[in-house]
Amino acid sequence: MQQDFIVLKWAVWPPLRGDAEQDSARQKELLASVPKMLKRRLSPLAKIVFCAANQCIAEHMIVPVVFSSSHGELAKSFSMMEMLEAGQEVSPTAFSLSVHNAIAGLFSIAWNNQLQSTMVAAGEEGLAAGFIEALGLLQEGAEQVLLVFYDEPLVDFYPSEPFKLATDESRALALRIAKSGEGRKLKMSSLSLTGNDGEQPVQLAAFIRFLAESQAQLTLKTPRHSWRWEKMSG
Amino acid sequence: MDSKENSMSSLENELKQLIIDSLDLEDMSIDDIDSHEPLFNEGLGLDSIDALELGLAIRKKYNVRIDAEKDDVEKIFASVAALAEFIKSERH
Repeated sequence: MQQDFIVLKWAVWPPLRGDAEQDSARQKELLASVPKMLKRRLSPLAKIVFCAANQCIAEHMIVPVVFSSSHGELAKSFSMMEMLEAGQEVSPTAFSLSVHNAIAGLFSIAWNNQLQSTMVAAGEEGLAAGFIEALGLLQEGAEQVLLVFYDEPLVDFYPSEPFKLATDESRALALRIAKSGEGRKLKMSSLSLTGNDGEQPVQLAAFIRFLAESQAQLTLKTPRHSWRWEKMSG
Repeated sequence: MDSKENSMSSLENELKQLIIDSLDLEDMSIDDIDSHEPLFNEGLGLDSIDALELGLAIRKKYNVRIDAEKDDVEKIFASVAALAEFIKSERH
């Protein structure tokens, strides 16, 4: 597999080397347009997804969206399981917001986005599945696609090591991509080389560094393939 | 105000606080909720998930169960005043 595309715009939230006070003020600004009754439903993870996405799309911009997360709102599911174990009734709100496409749903409501919204549960291939989904939409004729990767640290209960399942930071990366236009041209390809560079949360940190820094290419190995992204000239 | 009205308005205030706490209406206070305004849609702006959440909170706090099969849910949830009336009648 080999495919070229243009990154029209990308944004990370929270910033990699942020300042807690500044970030929290900026986060408030970025969430200001979200209706109040919807905002109360946003978890900390949903908030960073909204902040990354908001920087990539203009107001009233309607665009198909692909979300990708390894663990989604697992912390919410875990706390519900603890409540069930303790014999307590589960909150209907918490349940409705714990499903893997919960943030995608909130996003569609907040932006009144009636176009296609896809939620990828990223497995050991990591970032690749989200990219393949978004590139497929471009191939089908979508002018541009918003692609949002996000994850938060795993609840202590789950063993992250040595499986490289998570990092200790919450992060969202949004990319608005197209087949042509002004922006950073990237080539994505698969290689037969195998290894284990971790699942999406671990890969995401490497991919953000690749986008932000002068590195010409990034290869991420998984147990079945490797995936490579190269910066192309022109 | 006689004691009956008094106990009613204190139950209404208690319900308003329960609504604020259980539905994450963080920046609201009980003074912002009118006992007679509609809770759903055009009034306070609550939705169907809120109805389920509020039903659970009422069951936990007052041990009063709202049965969608038997009770007139629309009437019970019409306003804080209607809800207070229902809880009072069920507790006796």
